[in-house]
Amino acid sequence: MEGSAPASTRRTTADGLEIKYGLPGEVRFCRTCVISNQRPNSAVEYKHTADSHKATIHLDDDGVCDACKVAEQKWQRIDWQAREQRLWELCDRYRSSDGSYDCLCPGSGGKDSFYAAHLLKYKYGMHPLTVTWAPHMYTPWGWANFQKWIHAGFDNILYTPNGRVHRLLTRLAVQNLFHPFQPFIVGQKALAPKVALQHGLKLVFYGENEAEYGNPRIDTESAVRDYRYFTSNDPSEIYLSGVSLAELKERYGVGGHDLVPYLPADPDQLEQAAVDVHYLGYYLRWHPQSCYYYSVEHGGFEASPERTPGTYSKYNSIDDKIDDFHYWTTRVKFGIGRATYDASQEIRSGDITREEGVALVKRFDDEFPERFAEEVFRYLSVPPDEFPVASAQFERPIIDRDYFHDLADTFRSPHLWTKRDGEWKLRHTVWEDAP
Amino acid sequence: MGNVRLIARLDIKGPNLIKGIHLEGLRVIGDPAEHARRYYDQGADELLYVDIVASLYGRNNLQDIVRHTAADVFVPMTVAGGIRSADDVRDILRAGADKVAINTAAVQRPELITEVSKRFGSQCMVLSIEAKRARTGYEVGYYDAMSTRRWEAYTDNGREHTDLEVVEWARRGCELGAGEILLTSVDQEGTREGMDVDLVRAVADAVPIPVIASGGFGAPRHLVDVVRAGHADAVAVADALHYERCTVPELRDHALRAGLEVRRC
Repeated sequence: MEGSAPASTRRTTADGLEIKYGLPGEVRFCRTCVISNQRPNSAVEYKHTADSHKATIHLDDDGVCDACKVAEQKWQRIDWQAREQRLWELCDRYRSSDGSYDCLCPGSGGKDSFYAAHLLKYKYGMHPLTVTWAPHMYTPWGWANFQKWIHAGFDNILYTPNGRVHRLLTRLAVQNLFHPFQPFIVGQKALAPKVALQHGLKLVFYGENEAEYGNPRIDTESAVRDYRYFTSNDPSEIYLSGVSLAELKERYGVGGHDLVPYLPADPDQLEQAAVDVHYLGYYLRWHPQSCYYYSVEHGGFEASPERTPGTYSKYNSIDDKIDDFHYWTTRVKFGIGRATYDASQEIRSGDITREEGVALVKRFDDEFPERFAEEVFRYLSVPPDEFPVASAQFERPIIDRDYFHDLADTFRSPHLWTKRDGEWKLRHTVWEDAP
Repeated sequence: MGNVRLIARLDIKGPNLIKGIHLEGLRVIGDPAEHARRYYDQGADELLYVDIVASLYGRNNLQDIVRHTAADVFVPMTVAGGIRSADDVRDILRAGADKVAINTAAVQRPELITEVSKRFGSQCMVLSIEAKRARTGYEVGYYDAMSTRRWEAYTDNGREHTDLEVVEWARRGCELGAGEILLTSVDQEGTREGMDVDLVRAVADAVPIPVIASGGFGAPRHLVDVVRAGHADAVAVADALHYERCTVPELRDHALRAGLEVRRC
């Protein structure tokens, strides 16, 4: 868990290089995938501030990461027949027969949520309501796939937050945390339990478990999603974009109903209503590539018409224009770009070899996401005419390319980065790593 | 018009025969040589080997697989993927290929087409084009592929834009000395929903050289469509053969019954 330890003491490596974010001082790469030990676990974003320390993925003594171990269990050890039987039982318990919805499926209409909702409805005989937290800025193909999902047979609630507030929070998240995706994550996590309460639904189905990507392994032991990820009973402990609610109100002029979409459900209400939250990935052997095949076949899902910058793939997380920058910022902060995430997943799933993964990381991980850059800079800017109160709080309300890169440099941890011939280079890369 | 050729297409990655959808989500199918042998035994007119990630990974390693296959397969073999120079062509021909298909390197340096056709003959210089329909209405969130009749050429297994308009590029390639065009529809590839007939016709009617239609074959009637309405000279089939949804003789029988000229085995 992050959020408690302040960075009052400056940590350094043996060579005196500063280590930011409480990351491990020594960079190690998993020997079966391409992830490094700098990868932070998912955390409670409401507690995320500039001083937060990260808990990171665990590598064992043999240099194998937790995500690879989860994958090994997934492909070799788990009795999936028994798990599926339990899914049938769960569905039998909740399946409605009176024409009402019986479960909530949060998702974007990407390949994974397409698969989840479609299977629940057409194989397990459930009556799902789907709910979507809108991306910051839809890509045309993301919007098209979202529509195809609905047209494959689902009712859907699309929740789109106030664009002005969302932009401001995104800007603050970039300024304070260099995390342009945080407002999306916060809203997305908060939404489903609240909609479940509103509609009197007792069952929420998410897709994969985040532990597949490196959260502590104990997470996968239980199908029920931990309440701590989305509930809070003390507003004074809530931070959005690294800013407390009080400060958001006083300095930036947003508060009250402006922030409703971002606030978590009341845990007491959730408990009273007895909303059950489950991961479908606990019951079914989740394979992202197979979800892609499934959603093409059953709904005409389309891969994007071009490679996503920073990686080789074109079927994975393709609906938000700001997503390119999400992964570019993780590379700045943790040395881990999008190709590293994608290749690690595909290695664990047996779709590519580690050797291929290393080559792909070398070729794509460092690529700056040019295609939507100008649009994203405009999105992140807070000009006075649009943001009369908040604009004055920024030294540079308008983000341009130079300022964005200057800002990025302040988030580079010296233990990861060095400047050579005027260019930032990672000190440790997976392709130069001695096995 | 001569016989319509039935070509078995084998996309290769590393040591494996693979297959994707829209050239994405690549699935391992099995051993390429084994499949090649099977399609040869079934009576395929030609084989097409594509190292589908050669440009993506920046490598070129089909020679061994080609050599291995050429030892017991005796129909023309076209090889594509990672061929960047006339010397690369020489090496792959020596390994047993009869033709090469070039995409990325030809886009980067169109003169390569002329160099290859002069040195080895235009009959062995196949211009490979990965075509994807240009989309309309990005600005307003409207997104419909089938509403346009413009196609853009892509490289790197349908990943990188070139800004080349496909029909123009095909004409130019032909002028530069290409002897044949391998035309893959990224939109249809792996979907089994039929070939992009409009695309094939647009190109086939614009150039005097043969056009191989690839991408989207899912049922024998698709072959008839793309030859009759699309004016294709040859059809490349992958998915349907790999997943054994049909065999070459079934295809041939269907074509004959529909009145198409195909080789009689």
